[in-house]
Amino acid sequence: MQAEEQDAGNKTQAKRHKRFEVLEKRDVNKDGFVKEWPEVGLIATGGPEDPEPSIKIEDGVIVEMDGKPRDDFDLLDHFIARYALNNDIAEEMMDLDAVEIARMLVDINVPRNKVLEVFSGITPAKMAAVLECMDVVEMMMAMRKMHARRTPSIQGHVTSVQDNPVQMVADAAEAGLYGFTELETTVGVLRYAPFNALALLVGGQTGRGGIITQDAVEEATELQLGLRGLTTYAETVSVYGTEDAFRQGDDTPWSKAFLASAYASRGVKMRFTSGTGAEVQMASAEGKSMLYLEIKCVMLSKGVGVQGLQNGSISCIGVPGSVPGGIRAVLAENLVTACLDLETASGNDQSFSHSPYRRTARTLMQMLPGTDLIFSGYSTVPNYDNMFAGSNFDCDDNDDYLLIQRDLKVDGGLVPVDEQDVIAVRNKAAQALQAVFEELGLPSITDEEIEAATYAHGSEDMPERDKVQDTQAADDMMERGVTGLDVVKALAKHGFEDIASNVLEMQKQRVSGDYLHTSAILSPDFKVIAAVNDLNDYEGPGTGYRLEGERWQKIADIRQALGPDDI
Amino acid sequence: MSDEGSTQQVVEEMELEEVGEAQAGDSPEEVVIALSPAFGEEQLNRQTIHKLPHAAVLRELLAGIEEEGLEARLIRIYRTADVAFMGFDGAKLSGSGIAIGIQARGTTLIHQRELLPLAPLELFPQAPGLDLSNYRQIGKNAAQYAKGDSPSPVPQENDPMARPKWQAIASVFYIREVEFVDQDKKPVELKVSFEK
Repeated sequence: MQAEEQDAGNKTQAKRHKRFEVLEKRDVNKDGFVKEWPEVGLIATGGPEDPEPSIKIEDGVIVEMDGKPRDDFDLLDHFIARYALNNDIAEEMMDLDAVEIARMLVDINVPRNKVLEVFSGITPAKMAAVLECMDVVEMMMAMRKMHARRTPSIQGHVTSVQDNPVQMVADAAEAGLYGFTELETTVGVLRYAPFNALALLVGGQTGRGGIITQDAVEEATELQLGLRGLTTYAETVSVYGTEDAFRQGDDTPWSKAFLASAYASRGVKMRFTSGTGAEVQMASAEGKSMLYLEIKCVMLSKGVGVQGLQNGSISCIGVPGSVPGGIRAVLAENLVTACLDLETASGNDQSFSHSPYRRTARTLMQMLPGTDLIFSGYSTVPNYDNMFAGSNFDCDDNDDYLLIQRDLKVDGGLVPVDEQDVIAVRNKAAQALQAVFEELGLPSITDEEIEAATYAHGSEDMPERDKVQDTQAADDMMERGVTGLDVVKALAKHGFEDIASNVLEMQKQRVSGDYLHTSAILSPDFKVIAAVNDLNDYEGPGTGYRLEGERWQKIADIRQALGPDDI
Repeated sequence: MSDEGSTQQVVEEMELEEVGEAQAGDSPEEVVIALSPAFGEEQLNRQTIHKLPHAAVLRELLAGIEEEGLEARLIRIYRTADVAFMGFDGAKLSGSGIAIGIQARGTTLIHQRELLPLAPLELFPQAPGLDLSNYRQIGKNAAQYAKGDSPSPVPQENDPMARPKWQAIASVFYIREVEFVDQDKKPVELKVSFEK
């Protein structure tokens, strides 16, 4: 080798090991990873500014919490001290060792109720200290006992990059066959929001009855859709773990509480959203760890009085996902939510990794122990159509997910479906929406669109709609004051009596309000299944939710398995 | 557009000179470009998150505005690194009421004085999806809004896998930029000279 070449070689880089060159091309190395930067809060747990647990109560008032005197409390501290802690028992519970509380969480001989009592009397820093004692297997053991409703379930996303309502009504109906109990949509173009709501309302009651639906859009529009009976739950009301992050969103805990009560008072199911990583992403973490700040969000939600919380990092998953121990912290935040007796909608809802191994490992944390909603949600459409910027699993992963359930005998909320049944229900839903559009004077849905929606993989298989006409009609529909009852009438008039009856049942649910109880979902015949009548009673082997009987047979019976006669 | 761009030599270097406190403009012919506190700063390597030189990006924005026959006025915002509020501050100082806000990592928006701070005309949240021709188009669109036209929004790629690749790195980038924020300092007018 010439000296000159050698010099040039030294300047560029050392000779590469071929295995490293192969590794660098693997999916996992398309993900971005960063080192911890504790001073700014880029750390999953144990931040340098995380306080030590403490509490002082005088005359029934908390005068010191986690080392901070009342005079130094910020908005969040005040709110938590006033509304999220049981002052009567706080001193007693704070006296327990963190490791002792962690053992209670894992111990099958300590009932769920006892743990709830302890958590009602401990501070954010104490909760962080308890979780610091636990590894992920112990946290899963604890989650098995602590999630509020005994029966696990799953929420799905139904969206379209073209905001195509015909595609979405069919997708919502298909999701019903798979077993989703909640469906959430959002838009590419805000003015399409009423059509998205309509598609999920009709499709969601076609595949099966009793699916609760949501349209995650700008707050005023979302509330109005709920009040009109076009949606039946709301969850994208975000809370943050520092005052500065709240201020950047132009909000306070009190304004969020007001919004929550606006929904609940009108019979719309309501939960908050938060997640690790949000504060550090906004450069507002104050040197505190992601988990510590998230615990404050969970306590805040408890203090507001909402029945549940969607967390598990959610849209910030790329942040905890990139630091050491981040996915453990994500499970920990779900667990804190369950320990405060809140419905736990545990994330898994955003693209997290290029690697199928990392994606699966991340989801097993919630899928194995079960949570109220393991995904919030699972993309029922291909990720290219997912307007929440992609989910951790999408419809192309359905068979993998069903097989993981069958392999491990774990109920992840889905059941295998028959292809011809899916085709039939998609067709029926699209026809039903055609009738509703006709009756409500909305731009017509053609037979060609119905045919395409019946067999479509995604929006690329759909004929284009006139978006100007659609969005003008959607504005007009809102101005005319169309409600859920108008949809019922339209369906009944065109012979879709069963769907009409189901949509009417959903309107009745808003009046009776029973599905506002913690962790409520509805069975296909509109029976409320909640932490009130289906309370998690897990106390070790032989108790709690067991996957058995008819349900297990359904999950076991996949279309791909060969019988003796097939061979 | 992209062919034309690729034959040009990419400008790597520039000098930004502060020339006093930025005043409200009165020319309807001007579009303000509001730079973030660390845009062009040595410590952030004078490049965006996906390594486009700040100088090249700024030159494209300026060229886009000039192509439409309008004038660009350059200012730096110190009180915040939040692209929405930076852009909004710029729009309030702009004679036409239109401004472009751009962060060091490359996140960009087009804002208008009459709008709410968090509701800009066009937002480009995924900087890694923007190339130099996109920045020129953003400049052109901003100028067209200033002329009272309604241009088609600049098309942007929506990559569902951008989060796992970029979110954490983007957070670190932003936190580093926030270290340059001075909440009490008013916007400053800048003069730019590009170096070959």
